Amino acid sequence: MAAYVSMGEAHRRITEYLTRFSDAVSYQDGQSLSRLLSVSSNSPALLSLADALNTYQDANRIIRQSEKYSQYTDILVPIFRALQSYRLRNLVEAYVAFEKVSNAFIQEFRNWESAWALEALYVIAYEVRILAERADIELASIGKTPEKLKGAGSFLMKVFGVLAGKGAKRVGALYVTCQLFKIYFKLGTVHLCRSVIRSIETAKFFDFEEFPDRDKVTYMYYTGRLEVYNENFPAADHKLSYALAHCNASKEANIRMILKYLIPVKLSIGILPRTTLLEKFNLTEYSDVVLALRRGDLRLLRHALQEHEDRFLRSGVYLVLEKLELQVYQRLVKKIYIIQKQKDPNKAHQIKLDVIVKALKWLEMDMDVDEVECIMAILIYKNLVKGYFAHKSKVAVLSKQDPFPKLNGKPVNS
Amino acid sequence: MATEQVKPPTEEAKIDLFEDDDEFEEFEIDQEWEAKDEGKEVTQQWEDDWDDDDVNDDFSLQLRRELESNTEKK
Repeated sequence: MAAYVSMGEAHRRITEYLTRFSDAVSYQDGQSLSRLLSVSSNSPALLSLADALNTYQDANRIIRQSEKYSQYTDILVPIFRALQSYRLRNLVEAYVAFEKVSNAFIQEFRNWESAWALEALYVIAYEVRILAERADIELASIGKTPEKLKGAGSFLMKVFGVLAGKGAKRVGALYVTCQLFKIYFKLGTVHLCRSVIRSIETAKFFDFEEFPDRDKVTYMYYTGRLEVYNENFPAADHKLSYALAHCNASKEANIRMILKYLIPVKLSIGILPRTTLLEKFNLTEYSDVVLALRRGDLRLLRHALQEHEDRFLRSGVYLVLEKLELQVYQRLVKKIYIIQKQKDPNKAHQIKLDVIVKALKWLEMDMDVDEVECIMAILIYKNLVKGYFAHKSKVAVLSKQDPFPKLNGKPVNS
Repeated sequence: MATEQVKPPTEEAKIDLFEDDDEFEEFEIDQEWEAKDEGKEVTQQWEDDWDDDDVNDDFSLQLRRELESNTEKK
């Protein structure tokens, strides 16, 4: 795996890295610094350094030889270890060492007055998460408890605390928040998002719009998903639509993920995606759901939910889609009403419950008149149908004005 | 860390390791883009006036036949 490196060459590479590091700090060059910390990037420079470190066993002595380097011993010693371990695929060791790098880096970062090193901090936050994930895979494979990602979450909360105050560093808080979201969603501990969200959204001295686009889009995607789980559809619509409108158009995978959640939200407030959208982003699992709404086809809705049950349950939108049933009932009753109206406009607003029973039977739904009456009562209660019952004659009498109110972008009354 | 040993079966079936199927891809650190024009195409792909009075589609025609044939039977 590791290429042969002579001792002299190894020494040269190690010194070069140390020089670059100390230069990046003294010239406050955040971009160069960030490249030196990207352990998982597999960049040629870092790979050849890792090979050098594995040849030249006493790199720490070089660090201690010069004051220029030794003042950053707490960063440099563990970053060497992290790079070496990562190269040798010892991922747990690599994570443990990198966590030390990160803690030492945060100490320095706190003391630097300007925000020049933000870019390097982003890399630290990203690497902590990625190395923790890989360490956990290694731990799980040898039968140990994967716990590093959780640890990475605690560390990033600390980083968030460093950034969240006033001042220029604040602009970095949203990037760290997004890394935290990724961790919490992966671990299934999304309730932990709450305190971070509160801190972002109640900040009086920092306008959300001042954060970088990439972080705003990511933030809105994750908080939008949370609103879907909370069944707060207007808020979910707002956040996911924001993410959609601002997402880099070349990031199709991300656009697809936004749509995966936005579509059920839009459906629940009575707005349909065009077929071209579903096809372009390969979200055709929603095609039959949409068609069921258009038609008033309860059978098709049921089949579509069954067919993609696993997928919908995994992404957590199943319950949202299941609730579309009432809108499909509304559409079916409306179709019956229009068909009657074409036959006899005077009697159209009286719908015999029997007729609905027949339509449902055709759709393979066995319901008696009482059950249909119950469904109609719900539709009226939810303001999807305007009208009343003539209970004795088993007739639903529809209002002559706007008997089927549209949702107009609002959720069904609950 | 005190994790519960007894888990409901659904949780067990789920995974050996934690997973989020829909983890957002990272944007490059220095990636900036003009949001105004891009993405527009995608945001205009919605219909809110689909709930029309048209009953000439196949489904509605079948529904009509069904309702009429049934009434005749009675």
